[in-house]
Amino acid sequence: MQDEVDLPDVQLSIVIPLYNEAESVGPLVEAVRSALADHSAWELVLVDDGSRDRTVAIATELAAADPRIRLVPLARNYGQTPAMQAGFDEARGRIVVSMDGDLQNDPLDIPRVVAKLEEGYDLVAGYRERRQDKLLSRKVPSWIANRIIRRITGVDIRDNGCSLKGYRRELLDRIYLYSDMHRFIPAVAAATAGARISEIPVRHHARRFGQSKYGLSRIAKVLADLLTITMIRSFRERPLALFAAGAAGATALSAAFAVAALAVMLRHGVTPERMVVLPGAAILWLGLAVYLLMLGLVGEIALRESRPAPHALPLVRETFG
Amino acid sequence: MVSVIVPVTERPEPLDDLYRELAAPLRSAGRTFEFIFVTEPWGRELATGLAALAAEGEPIRALLTGQVVGETAQIKVALSQCRGEIVVIHPAYRRIEPSALTTLIARVESGADVATARRWPRRDSWINRLQTRAFHRLIVGLGAGQIQDIGSGVRVARRDVLREIPLYGDFSRFLPLAAQREGYLVEEVAVPQHPQERGARVYSPGVYLRRLIDVVGLVFLLRFTEKPLRFFGLTGALLAATGSLILLVLGLQRLAGEELADRPLLLLGLLLVVLGLQSIALGLIGEIIVHLHASQRRTYRIAGRPSS
Repeated sequence: MQDEVDLPDVQLSIVIPLYNEAESVGPLVEAVRSALADHSAWELVLVDDGSRDRTVAIATELAAADPRIRLVPLARNYGQTPAMQAGFDEARGRIVVSMDGDLQNDPLDIPRVVAKLEEGYDLVAGYRERRQDKLLSRKVPSWIANRIIRRITGVDIRDNGCSLKGYRRELLDRIYLYSDMHRFIPAVAAATAGARISEIPVRHHARRFGQSKYGLSRIAKVLADLLTITMIRSFRERPLALFAAGAAGATALSAAFAVAALAVMLRHGVTPERMVVLPGAAILWLGLAVYLLMLGLVGEIALRESRPAPHALPLVRETFG
Repeated sequence: MVSVIVPVTERPEPLDDLYRELAAPLRSAGRTFEFIFVTEPWGRELATGLAALAAEGEPIRALLTGQVVGETAQIKVALSQCRGEIVVIHPAYRRIEPSALTTLIARVESGADVATARRWPRRDSWINRLQTRAFHRLIVGLGAGQIQDIGSGVRVARRDVLREIPLYGDFSRFLPLAAQREGYLVEEVAVPQHPQERGARVYSPGVYLRRLIDVVGLVFLLRFTEKPLRFFGLTGALLAATGSLILLVLGLQRLAGEELADRPLLLLGLLLVVLGLQSIALGLIGEIIVHLHASQRRTYRIAGRPSS
């Protein structure tokens, strides 16, 4: 456990999750230091996400040598979202900038992100202008994913996958990342905190060390997460509305099958006791409608029974008065 | 100080014999220790031998619950009362060579958060070994963890670690898996099996079924607690897709002039679609609940720092 050096009034926190970045961490810290040479009150929060190489050893040395650098070692490999959340929780700055630990982002962009935030935004996302990655396995899927995310969430961000982002503390107090939400921070910020969001182009370098830690096989997960975020955005205050809409659809289908059953009976003179399939289908959909309504009520109960988060109100600022 | 917790569950050995066996190596290693036996009402008489020992000054405490509460609750109540920094959980029957306790304790003192005993080499009946092996396969196959002998029941850990591992239901059995999941360093240590653990242990089919359900439940909790829609949504999508396929075929046949009213297959297709939608809806409710509690959940633990 390192000593908590108390820096008065940290203005800017840089949060970098590290996972097996033994080669990168040294140059990375150096780059951050020189990029922020003009700034005074900054800190660098290195979150080790259970690395199995020498990342922790190297980061510990770096942290011991410079009080502005803090190491937050997680107990195991939790994944990028919890690592990011850990960094946000530990960061003390009024402004927090997150970036990747693999040197693909350039710390020189940090001051520009900060400047953009100062213009009055709660979140500034970087987008990689000339992205240095493989076309087919990285750029194309990312392009498709970003289009889908933009369309579904309605948040106009070109590059959700770029880790270089800046946040105001007030925003971070309002979002709680879990599961794999780090991919959708802008969408979550917009949906749950009403954040003002902007983006700026940032530099992007080819990977120098180590392996890329992403695979291609995450489409289903991303889709499920998107469905969740969309639902939460529209229905977090009234889950019954969502389920009632589903129930209405199911009722309509039920009615359609009932009408079809009647039509068959009348037209072909079939007696009711010989009719099984069509009335059965009508009953099936009616059952679904009832089920969905009940589920919606469960959602309402869950909502009422939950303690509101400490910062549940949306972000506002006074324009005049 | 070492606290030894013994939850007295079905088919215990004579508890005073067990105490003497387990206390001997601790005493000769020069350790201070206490034993906490937790008994349910049916086992009240089992503790009488212990009372005599305690009267002679042996460090024994016996807790008696008012109802049958199950092993997990027995362990939890003992944990809340124990005083040792290091805690041994030992079943009320012979599992490992008593002298091996000190080996396990040494592992925890040299850095492991949890040391769990693996009975190796095995000397008992092939039926027991087969069960252990099958259980290991099941756990690995379901992606729950990497423990060879989850059934040994002998665990040693630091008290604060144990107090932080969420345990409920029948999950005390899987404590090492839950600990691994929480990010603790779990070491499985091969120790000699107790020479008297020989008899073949065969349970009723219901017990095996319950264990299976436990493992499946545990895996679900470990993997999907934060993302219910991934599980329910995928299940639902598969069901609905199968149903839609059936409906598509029927639809094409309808276009070719066949009547739908007497096709029970239509009901099957619709049922699958309805089930799929139900599953997805359930997943959405799960996501709402998870989201509502996101601000209170800790999703990570910082090494070397207590979480609460």
